[in-house]
Amino acid sequence: MVQQNTQNGWKPIEDEGFWRRIPRRIGVSTLDAGKAAATLLWVLYRTVIGTVRGKRPKGEVLRQMEQVGNKSLLFVTVTIGFLGMVLVFQVCLQIEKITGDMSQVGPEFIKGMVHAFVPSLTAMMLATRVGAGIAAEIGSMMVTEQIDALRMCGVDPIDYLVVPRFIASLVMTLVLSVYATAISILAGALMAYTSYHVNPVMFFVFDKVTPGDAVIGVTKCLAFGAAIPVVSGYCGLTTRGGSEGVGSATTRAVINSSLAVIILDFIISAAGYYLLQSRGL
Amino acid sequence: MIRLEDVTKWYDGRAVLDHVSLHLEPGMLWGLIGPAASGKSVLLKVVCGLIRPDEGRVIVDQRDITKDKESDIMETRRKFGMLFQNNALFDFMTVGENVAFPIYWGSDIEPDRLRSLSVKRLQDVGLSGSEDKVPSELSGGMKKRVGIARATIADPKIVIYDEPTAGLDPVTTSKIYDLLRNLQQRNESTVLAVSSDVQAIRGFVEHIAVIHQGRILYNGPERELDSCADPVVHQFIRGDADGPL
Repeated sequence: MVQQNTQNGWKPIEDEGFWRRIPRRIGVSTLDAGKAAATLLWVLYRTVIGTVRGKRPKGEVLRQMEQVGNKSLLFVTVTIGFLGMVLVFQVCLQIEKITGDMSQVGPEFIKGMVHAFVPSLTAMMLATRVGAGIAAEIGSMMVTEQIDALRMCGVDPIDYLVVPRFIASLVMTLVLSVYATAISILAGALMAYTSYHVNPVMFFVFDKVTPGDAVIGVTKCLAFGAAIPVVSGYCGLTTRGGSEGVGSATTRAVINSSLAVIILDFIISAAGYYLLQSRGL
Repeated sequence: MIRLEDVTKWYDGRAVLDHVSLHLEPGMLWGLIGPAASGKSVLLKVVCGLIRPDEGRVIVDQRDITKDKESDIMETRRKFGMLFQNNALFDFMTVGENVAFPIYWGSDIEPDRLRSLSVKRLQDVGLSGSEDKVPSELSGGMKKRVGIARATIADPKIVIYDEPTAGLDPVTTSKIYDLLRNLQQRNESTVLAVSSDVQAIRGFVEHIAVIHQGRILYNGPERELDSCADPVVHQFIRGDADGPL
């Protein structure tokens, strides 16, 4: 039942009916989505401005780099290592059924890892581990009025909380991706050698990796590294309610960060193909 | 010093503040009481610019903060100190760092000087030797005192106390109000205090207002509150079970 405010409080107004309710709901949802997008863009804008000229707490960027990077090492190593092995095993299995020529497994696997798989997979892992952490931390500060207390002390919460995480994520997503690429190639080579007797010398061929692949890979790392803290910070800063609100913000952060990674992955891959790879770069 | 003109704030289609107008003189001890969810905390946050009203104007020291950008409001907020309802102590800092934070950020005060100022203010609120503890190690009353120390360390011109004695026993409540009175007399600051504890706050303030469903029902001297004819005010200050509330 729709309600309308009156001077004396609340009174129900008559039901609009099914067909009249649909456009209203679509309109309300569209307005809400527009507001959310505008707020997200504002958080991104303030974060970039804060990164360039904002004041940050001393040592906070290094502390966040440890949170994002060092504490994700084991998670990234295990996940990417196993994924690398599974991918190589499946590729070899299919090739064995068709031609049996394993000479291109290594070079193509390395090329795919550098420009497509590793940046995306690493970012997806960071979206779950780091994104959830950022949203939970900022969200719980929001519901306990600590964010208001920061503002009362003359501190911009974005400068204080989001910017250090943004810088740390930008740097560490790139560093972790380089590390993860090495792990995936080593794990893939090990699987190819133990299961299909592919000579490591034949596997470790980097000739197929073009400068364009490296540019696309690095661009993806930077874009994903920027998107995760901004989206998660936005989810944290828009938290409402109590512990349920924090839980909801955390879930939204993981889902939205992952979505942002997938969408950016598509855009950068498409742009990279048309701008670089189709021109032989 | 602080003037609210026809301030209205809507949440989910409901007016949480409904055409509120107030005028607070410098050095005034002003209290706000009212039933739960009547708009008390929202009013305090509107006064210091943490929440923007949908209609009306908020003027602090001749400056209309409703039209200001966030960066300009931040400058105005330096005139304020605030104790939050749930204290809002930073749980990733020690007690000493919490207290020193309003003067640490944006200043170039030496760390040793910051620490000594923080230790001094903690002594003032009766918490000597607590500077290296973390907020989770403190009792409810101690957290309130730390919140008060943080709100007043920069000697602000205006201090806002949101439920300064919520959840505290009568003895601690009395001690907290003595502390607030001493701090106000020392700094000659304007004080806005919100409380659900009618008797305790009436003993503290000179002027009092009663808010219900976002509307101010009474605003005047505390000693004349009993003579207010409004039935809601009458019931609320007497704590009667029967009545319009």
